[in-house]
Amino acid sequence: MNDPVLAALAGHPFARGLDAGQVARLATAAAKITVPAGYRFFEEGGPASQFWLILSGRVALDLNVPGRDPITVETLGAGDVIGLSWLFPEPQWQFGAQAVKETRAVAIDAVAVMAMCDADPVLGYRLLRRIVTVATGRLHAARVRLLDLYAPPADASSAR
Amino acid sequence: MTGHAVPAWYRVSDSKAETRDTVTLTLAPAGPPIGAHRPGQFTMLYAFGVGEVPVSISGAADGPELIQTIRAVGAVSSALYSAVQGQLIGVRGPFGTDWGVADAAGRDLLLVAGGIGLAPLRPALLAALGRRASYRRIVVLIGARTPADLLFGAEMMGWHTAGAEVHVTVDQSQPGWTGNVGVVTQLLDRAHLDPAGTTALVCGPEVMMRLTARALVSRGLPAAQIRLSLERNMRCGIAECGHCQLGPFVLCRDGPVVSYQRAAPALAVREM
Repeated sequence: MNDPVLAALAGHPFARGLDAGQVARLATAAAKITVPAGYRFFEEGGPASQFWLILSGRVALDLNVPGRDPITVETLGAGDVIGLSWLFPEPQWQFGAQAVKETRAVAIDAVAVMAMCDADPVLGYRLLRRIVTVATGRLHAARVRLLDLYAPPADASSAR
Repeated sequence: MTGHAVPAWYRVSDSKAETRDTVTLTLAPAGPPIGAHRPGQFTMLYAFGVGEVPVSISGAADGPELIQTIRAVGAVSSALYSAVQGQLIGVRGPFGTDWGVADAAGRDLLLVAGGIGLAPLRPALLAALGRRASYRRIVVLIGARTPADLLFGAEMMGWHTAGAEVHVTVDQSQPGWTGNVGVVTQLLDRAHLDPAGTTALVCGPEVMMRLTARALVSRGLPAAQIRLSLERNMRCGIAECGHCQLGPFVLCRDGPVVSYQRAAPALAVREM
């Protein structure tokens, strides 16, 4: 596999379960990038027309709060996907995203991928399953964080 | 019977604030000491005139002093939290099962800590780092509520230097924090585990331990290689009173460290 984009895509967990032909098609809409710490991938409310597969580094999803610094709601790292909003009608980013440290990723043209999925429902189904898996994992994590498990316990019978 | 049924006297020789509600006490024997302890065991600490609570041992098992980390959550733990240098404290123990760190020799050792669950894991980590060549990778995944709630923050670089891979995440970010934000299970995939060759030690709130154990099993770790530190209402420490029963376990004797393989059925039972 001489094509570095193809190799990076094939090695990313997001492509697990796709066959070689499907990965090769995705690669036609993809490019490898390296961005420095502080790079803004997108801003809340902007049009969502790309997504990224992180190869290394760390990216913060953030939210603007008036009168405060932006709040980091979650960080993503190697093996993660940045950007799910492109999948929905009139796609718009729900959060901002900023590299916390130098980050390598595969950037993918979501408009082209949507066209591929419309033309090939098998590819579309497999990609949708991948994205639902990612979204479900983040939903579970968000629910667990809502529990605030590390807050002082109501039962004070022990110190742990 | 000093040490198990009757408290041994210890004097607070140092008190170090870890976070706004947690301190680490160093306790020196002020009379006959309790017996030697193993990583993962706990003691009953007695604040005279207030009461007694179970507290995990958070220091290495290599000397007469006891290192114990206490979070102020009730009357007794608040009294212990406020203990000053020179103050006498009663100690019973050590009680319970240990992490079995030596059993993991030749394997990867994964420690997953949530909140104050890092305290009982620290002796296991120190023991493993003390025999670093006996293990393959030593990976430490730590979850905390906020960056300000992280325990042993000043030691983490030393753990890294001694050969551990340390990853930290917090539930809620704070200004200036550039580390991970998210639940501790989200760090598992970034740790690139070898499921067949890993022994996992997990300690934190029970929900966190259950979710972590399930996440590890789904990644291929055998349930027998996942050890949890369980807790109920430990009182006597000698399996007589029954307050800490969890299904078939009397946790002061059969725990706190129990394999997930054995503990999973009991953890699925709803309790009043």
